[in-house]
Amino acid sequence: MKIKIDGNLYEGIPGETLMELAKRNNVEIPNLCHKIGFEGQGRCRLCMVEVNEGRRTKVVSSCVFPIKDGLEVVTNSDKIKKMRKDIILLLLLKTPNNQYIKKLAEEYEVTAPERYEDLTNTEDCILCGLCVKACEKMGTSAISLVNRGTTKKISTPYDDSSKDCIGCGACAEVCPTKAISLEDKNSTRTIWKKEFNLVKCTSCGKYYTTKEALNFINKKLGEESSEHICESCRKKSISKKFKESYKDYASHIK
Amino acid sequence: MVDSSIDLMESNEILKKYPPEKRFTLAILQDVQKQYGYVPRETMNLIAEYLSQPVSEIYSMATFYKALSLKAKGKYIIKVCNGTACHIRGSNALMDEVAEVLDIIPGETTSDGLFSIEIVNCLGACALAPVMVIDDKYYGGMTKEKVKSVIEEYRRAK
Amino acid sequence: MSSEKRKILVCCGTGCLANNSYNVYTKFLDRLKNTSIDVVPSVKSTGCNGLCEKGPVVKILPDEISYFKVKESDVDEIVEKNILNGEVVDRLLYFDTNEKKRIVSHKDASFYKHQNKIALRNIGEIDPQSIEDYKERGGYMALEKVLFSMTPEQIIKEIESSGLRGRGGAGFPTGNKWRTCFQFENNPKYVVCNGDEGDPGAFMDRSVMEGDPNTVIEGMIICAFAINSNRGFLYIRDEYQLARKNMQLAIESAMAHGYLGKNIMGSGFDFDLEIVRGGGAFVCGESSALMASIEGSVGEPRAKYIRSVEKGLWDQPTVLNNVETWANVPPIILNGADWFRNLGTEKNSGTKVFSLVGKVKNTGLVEIPMGTTLRELVFDIGGGIIKDRPFKAVQTGGPSGGCIPKEHLDVSMDFDSLNNIGSMMGSGGVIVMDDTTCMVELARYYMEFLAEESCGKCTTCREGISTMVKILNNITNGNGKMEDLDLLESLSGTIKDASLCGLGKTAPNPVMTTLKYFRDEYIDHIVNKKCSAGVCKNLTSYSIDKDTCIGCGLCAKKCPTGAISGTLKSPHEISHDTCIKCGTCFSVCPSGAVVIGGAANEN
Repeated sequence: MKIKIDGNLYEGIPGETLMELAKRNNVEIPNLCHKIGFEGQGRCRLCMVEVNEGRRTKVVSSCVFPIKDGLEVVTNSDKIKKMRKDIILLLLLKTPNNQYIKKLAEEYEVTAPERYEDLTNTEDCILCGLCVKACEKMGTSAISLVNRGTTKKISTPYDDSSKDCIGCGACAEVCPTKAISLEDKNSTRTIWKKEFNLVKCTSCGKYYTTKEALNFINKKLGEESSEHICESCRKKSISKKFKESYKDYASHIK
Repeated sequence: MVDSSIDLMESNEILKKYPPEKRFTLAILQDVQKQYGYVPRETMNLIAEYLSQPVSEIYSMATFYKALSLKAKGKYIIKVCNGTACHIRGSNALMDEVAEVLDIIPGETTSDGLFSIEIVNCLGACALAPVMVIDDKYYGGMTKEKVKSVIEEYRRAK
Repeated sequence: MSSEKRKILVCCGTGCLANNSYNVYTKFLDRLKNTSIDVVPSVKSTGCNGLCEKGPVVKILPDEISYFKVKESDVDEIVEKNILNGEVVDRLLYFDTNEKKRIVSHKDASFYKHQNKIALRNIGEIDPQSIEDYKERGGYMALEKVLFSMTPEQIIKEIESSGLRGRGGAGFPTGNKWRTCFQFENNPKYVVCNGDEGDPGAFMDRSVMEGDPNTVIEGMIICAFAINSNRGFLYIRDEYQLARKNMQLAIESAMAHGYLGKNIMGSGFDFDLEIVRGGGAFVCGESSALMASIEGSVGEPRAKYIRSVEKGLWDQPTVLNNVETWANVPPIILNGADWFRNLGTEKNSGTKVFSLVGKVKNTGLVEIPMGTTLRELVFDIGGGIIKDRPFKAVQTGGPSGGCIPKEHLDVSMDFDSLNNIGSMMGSGGVIVMDDTTCMVELARYYMEFLAEESCGKCTTCREGISTMVKILNNITNGNGKMEDLDLLESLSGTIKDASLCGLGKTAPNPVMTTLKYFRDEYIDHIVNKKCSAGVCKNLTSYSIDKDTCIGCGLCAKKCPTGAISGTLKSPHEISHDTCIKCGTCFSVCPSGAVVIGGAANEN
């Protein structure tokens, strides 16, 4: 499958979306609600591009658009640039004090008309939905998109601490605008109005996850292990093992 | 109308009518709404368990669909239509009058638990605009002047 | 005299029920029980006759006498005079404002004369709860025809060559949809009826479901047979209680008569149909949101780069059509594609049902051949504007449509012509507006409606529409600036191009068309601080023209705050301090002496 993006040809894999193809080839298409490994959502609309399928040109969102052979894509036409600025303006009006969105606005030279900018607004969430997807992927689904229209938000049921939340922090991890408050203080983590006891990494001794998250994962994997190590120690240990095996291999072929 | 008075027996009866499939979520919630006048918190957990769905999913549904509410509503729900035909024939003034007579704003319930006001989208009775509906009874060609007597009728009937 | 085969049809559609038609119906039943006539006429409750405003409507067959605004207290007189003595009760006849006379049969009235009923053919003529009534008028004959003498290919071909286009709004060719779905072989396939009619001001689908539910069912079975589907869903709007009830009864009796279920009419074909009740969300009228709702999820639309004929309900091939489209299927099969093609225009064949509402004399449901002009619809059928005020505009297609000004009154009412002038057919709501409708406020009203009904999934629709509401609120409150218009235009373009579903993509239409055709009104609000329609209270003041005032004192009598003073037979005056701008004086003044001024006049 041959797909042309901004004049350059790329080889597409059947079944992938335009965004996946672009990311695989390091072609920059701005986006906020897409993450590799997550299904495209089409929420933020920042990834709109123009595509030509022979006869007519249309505007599509790359993160949900399935690629087709012979597709020609333009990511930077004047029309698309204007659209992107308007979308960033809308996000800026929603979250006028969010650092990430402010930076984005600066980058794209977007300023909000003063009359419509409410600087007392402390909203940080742009409703990209990634946290909900992450929570779903964990298998917990403690949070969801609630209400609709302009009142739409992300929360636990009744905005209360949820029995399903395991405090893993995956939601905060994927959030592009750092809108989810996750607070680790000594041995306690507070997230979504729920407090958790933190567990230490058996290797480096640092607090790194909650007991509930650990239990949940162990249960999911069906193993009960007394050893639990944090992400950075795990990486270290893998690279160490790799180095050792390489050493063996190197000495073997000598 | 306090949560603690919820009889979960009735919820279980409702659940029994449906196979435990996700596609019946809305139908079950509608029945629960009808039974209690709202969707009580306890039933939400019950439905989630029955359908093997996360509670958050049921909560999403209950907050997305306007026919469902999380708060108890009045015995009589006064729906003032704000469809276009009603709008251009003065539904705003009608709404203001209902709100004034009951001393609550749309979405609220009177303190005696008797009335709730709802602004609803087109009820499809445009030829009778402006329209007001109380318990499925339609009042067409409503005027501000008629509001008081209609509400009084229900107040007397209790 | 003989009352043999006499029928009394009492309309029991939502409109007439609201005017107590059920009591009229039971009174007839009651009254006739105690008569001495040999053959008691059958009394039937029927679906909507269309002219809802003049309800309850009672028809006497076979004489074809129609009575309007019938009250319980009129029943005795109708029975005594008409049923027993064959005299017409003049005072209950319809007064035709165009012809300036009373009319015996409703079929001669201007409102009905121009109509050509296909989708509405049975409504008001049959008892919707009686499958026998439906069969008597040719019901289920089309089904029999397809089951025993047509191949799926022939059926699809017939629908294709009829040129039938989806009546739900977009006007997509129905036959095309069926064919594409037919070609996919992965079973199960589904047939869905969109009965989530949500456009404010449109009620044709409600009327069909309430008044002739069997035609929808028959249309769906025909499609199911053609595309090889065994299961269908009818998604009906939460607010439509009577429609759900009548549909449910119709499904049950169709089952009992062997038109649904296993081995339909002995053909070996199976089809099951069930009703899904909506939850009160306008967005569920959008096909992918509707399917999500049937599946038991929130009604969030999905991107439709892969069409639902390929991956629809539960990702299986699905044909979804709206109520009115389904109602057209059986007549097309029975009468042939050519018959249908001969009606309407070349690319817009057949008829369309419009709900004519707003500031028009005759409001109700109207079915006319496509290509009829807007002028004919509003003035010949609708009888013109209430109180003969000036016509200002018409809004078609609900919140997704646009407004059409006076200069386009001769537009042909069809999918393509309406699109060309920036509006759309939508489901067929036609809302007529006069000079007392403020176009800026109307645009604000639609935007506010959509802000509430947006599912909130995508940024442009959710944030874009609510930002537009803020801007429009500023303008109608008197705080608008000229640069607001540029912002409105820019956002409109982006929302239209970048939104996920049809709701968002068409949301800016009311603003775009009013900005195009009524820009002066926006400028009047912003620069002159004046709302000439007298709707935006901050930008309105009332005063009395001394030369025109006849001093009748009616305004002073009706003023709720006592803001008007003056002595009889001499000009009156309005005190701006106490005036609450309710506009009562303006509407009651018999000499047109009350004039609307802008906010500036107050100072």
